[in-house]
Amino acid sequence: MFALKADWSQEIKKRYFTLDDYTGGEARWCPGCGDHAVLTVVQRICRDKQILPEKTVAVSGIGCSSRLPHYMGTYGFHGTHGRALTIACGIRSRRPDLDVWVATGDGDCFSIGAGHWIHAIRYNMNMVVLIFDNNVYGLTKKQMSPTSPLGFKNNTAPRGTILQPLNPLTVTLGITNVSFVAQTIDWNPAHLYATLQAAHNHRGTSFVRILQRCPVYSDEVFSDIQNDPSKILFLNHKNGIHIGDNVKRLFPTQREHDPSNMSEAYDIARNHVPVGLLYHAPQTPCYEDFSSVGRHMGIEDKMKGLNDALDQFAV
Amino acid sequence: MLNAIEGSQAIAQAVALCRPQVVSAYPITPQTHIVENLSKLVANGQFNCEFVSVESEFSAASVALGAAMTGSRAYTASASQGILLMAEVLYNISGSRVPMVMTCANRAVSAPLSIWNDQQDSMAVRDAGWIQLYCADNQEAIDTMIQAYRIAERCELPVMVCVDGFTLTHTLETLDMPEQQQVDDFLPPYHFSRTLNPQKPISVGTLVSPDYYSEARQEHHQALLDAQAEIIQADQDWGKIVGREYGGLLNIFGDADAKIGILCLGSVLGTLEAALQQGLVTEKVKLFQLRCFRPFPSHALQLACEGLTHLVVLERALSVGSGGIVSLEVAVALNYLPQPPKLYACAAGLGGRDIPLQILPKLLALTQQPPQPFQIIDLK
Ligand SMILES: Cc1ncc(C[n+]2csc(CCOP(=O)(O)OP(=O)(O)O)c2C)c(N)n1
Repeated sequence: MFALKADWSQEIKKRYFTLDDYTGGEARWCPGCGDHAVLTVVQRICRDKQILPEKTVAVSGIGCSSRLPHYMGTYGFHGTHGRALTIACGIRSRRPDLDVWVATGDGDCFSIGAGHWIHAIRYNMNMVVLIFDNNVYGLTKKQMSPTSPLGFKNNTAPRGTILQPLNPLTVTLGITNVSFVAQTIDWNPAHLYATLQAAHNHRGTSFVRILQRCPVYSDEVFSDIQNDPSKILFLNHKNGIHIGDNVKRLFPTQREHDPSNMSEAYDIARNHVPVGLLYHAPQTPCYEDFSSVGRHMGIEDKMKGLNDALDQFAV
Repeated sequence: MLNAIEGSQAIAQAVALCRPQVVSAYPITPQTHIVENLSKLVANGQFNCEFVSVESEFSAASVALGAAMTGSRAYTASASQGILLMAEVLYNISGSRVPMVMTCANRAVSAPLSIWNDQQDSMAVRDAGWIQLYCADNQEAIDTMIQAYRIAERCELPVMVCVDGFTLTHTLETLDMPEQQQVDDFLPPYHFSRTLNPQKPISVGTLVSPDYYSEARQEHHQALLDAQAEIIQADQDWGKIVGREYGGLLNIFGDADAKIGILCLGSVLGTLEAALQQGLVTEKVKLFQLRCFRPFPSHALQLACEGLTHLVVLERALSVGSGGIVSLEVAVALNYLPQPPKLYACAAGLGGRDIPLQILPKLLALTQQPPQPFQIIDLK
C-alpha cells in the first residue's frame, strides 16, 4: 500500500538557516566598536552549527554590549543592569533544551552584577557567557569600571582611577565549580571565532572574557598590546583553542598551557595578558544534572514513589 | 551670581556648597552629570569631600548610610532603576532616623526600558519614610538642595529632592548660585546626635519585637508629619537670605479667586504657567505645585482648595491597577472639606512623552464633564 504522510514534504526538506535568520535589527553601535565583531561571530557560529533560531536565546543586562539581543534574530531578553546571568539561570533552569548566550559588560557583570557572577559560575548551568570588557562604562559615557586600568582618566575619576583593576580571570578561576575560562580579543576574528566555538561546545558555564575596543571612551586601554602583540601571551595546547598557523604567527609570544592545570592557569592569569583557554574541566557537575533528576517521571512513577515513602510509616 | 548653567551642574555646585563630607554614587542617566560634576569639583580641589564611586546604587545608598552614621553629612543621587535598587536601603536609612540628602533625577522605570522622564521612580518609594520635595525649575532645585540639608538635620530624617530628568537636569537656565557664606550662615556644621561615641556605645537597626514595632512606626510617621513645620521654616529662612520662596509645602499660582484648580508636581508647572500666560484658555485657573509630597500636606491642601468647584490632578506616574497616586491622596485630604471640589485625576508625559502647552485646554475640558475614573490623557 502506498500513502503520503501529511508532513511528508517537511521531513525531506531540511531547514537551512542563513546568517539572515540570526539577524535582528540593524546594529547601532558606534563605528569601530568591538561589539560588532562579537555579534558577527555569534551569528556565524549559530549558522555554522545550524542551531535552531527558535531554540536560541540571547540574554543581557544593560549597557552598550547588552544591546546584543536586539540584533539577534533569535529570542532575546534585555534585562536590568547586572542581572543578565540570573535571568539566564532562570531560563536554563526550566528550559535546558535552549541554547543560551549571555551578553554582559564589565560594568554589568563585575560591578552591579558581581554577586551573580560568582554564583552563576558555581551553578555551572550550560550557557556561554560573553563578557564585553572595554574597561569602561560605555552606555553612560565614560565612567570607570572595575577593570579600568590604574590611572585611567574618566568622568567619575577625572584625575585617574586610584585602585588596581580587578582581575576577572583570577576571580573566576577561584570560584568553586568553575568549568571553562577563556580570554580572547575582538580584533582577531579567527581567535574570537575559535574561542566562542569552544565555549559553545563546552557543557557548563563557559566564561569568555573578550577584550573589546571602545573607540570612543576607552580607545587607549588596549593600544599597548595592539602596538606590541608580543605583550599578549598566546596559549597553545592540543586541548586548547585551535587556530591556523597563518593567524597564530600574529602572536609572537606563545607558551604551552594544559587547560586542566588550574594552578598554572592562575599564574598565567595573574601575571600575563593571555589569550586562549585558561581552564577547562569538562566533567564539572552542572546544576541541571541535579535539579532535573526526576523531571521526566510520569504521574504514576511519582505516585509510586510517594506511596513507597508513605509505606515506611505504616502502623 | 547669575550664570547660565546646566541643571545638573548647578545641583552639583549647590550640593558642594552644603559641604557634605561623603558623596557616594553609581552613574545612571539622567543623574550622571550631577555626580560627574561633583567628582570634577573634588578632583579640582574645589570641594573637600570623600567621593566614593561604588559598584551599584545599593552600595551607594549603603555607603552614604554608613558615612552618615559616623556623623558625616552625606549625599547620594540616582534615578529610575537605581532608585528601585536602593529601595531596601532607603527604608533602612529613614527607619534608623539618619539624616541625609539625595537627588532623584526622575526617570521612567523598566520594563519597557525608557531613559526619559516621568516620576514613577520616586513615587515607587513614596512609602520609604523619606521627605520628598519636587522642584519646578532649576533655581528651585538649587535652593531646595540647600534647604533639604537643614530640614534633614533638624528632623533627623532623610530628604529626597526630585528633579525631572532631562527637562531640568540637562537644560541650561540662568540661575543665581548662592555664595558659600550665605549657605554657611543657613546651614551650621552638622552634629548627629547618635554619632559614634565610645562613651556611649549604641547599636542601631536591631531587632524589634511586636511589643515595640508599631510604636516605632508611629514615631517615624509622626516625625514626618511634624517635619512640615521645618519644611516651611527652611523655605522662609532661606528666602530671607536669597529673596526667593517656594510656598513651603504647596506653591500656589494663578488667579486667587478661580473656581478651577490644577495640581501638579515638578517641571510641568512651567508648561501650565506658560499656557496660562499665553491665554490658551479664558477661564480663571489656580495652579498648585505640590512641592512637598512626603509628608503629605493635607491641611495646607485643604486650606488652599476651599472655594474651588473643580480640581484637576495631573500626575507623571500611576499606580498600575489602581490609577492616580497623588490624586488618591488628594481625594482623601479633600474629603474632609464641607464642600470638596470635584476631582479629576489624570496622568500625562509618561516615559518622556512631551507635554505641550495644549495640555491646559485639555485639562480644563475634563472639568466640563462629571468626574471620570483616572485616565492617561495623552494616549495616541
Ligand atoms: C540599576 C541601574 N544602575 C545604573 C544604570 C545605568 N547604566 C546603564 S549601563 C551602565 C554601565 C555599562 O557599562 P558596561 O556594563 O561595562 O557596558 P558597556 O556599555 O561598556 O558595553 C550603567 C551604569 C542602570 N541602567 N541601572
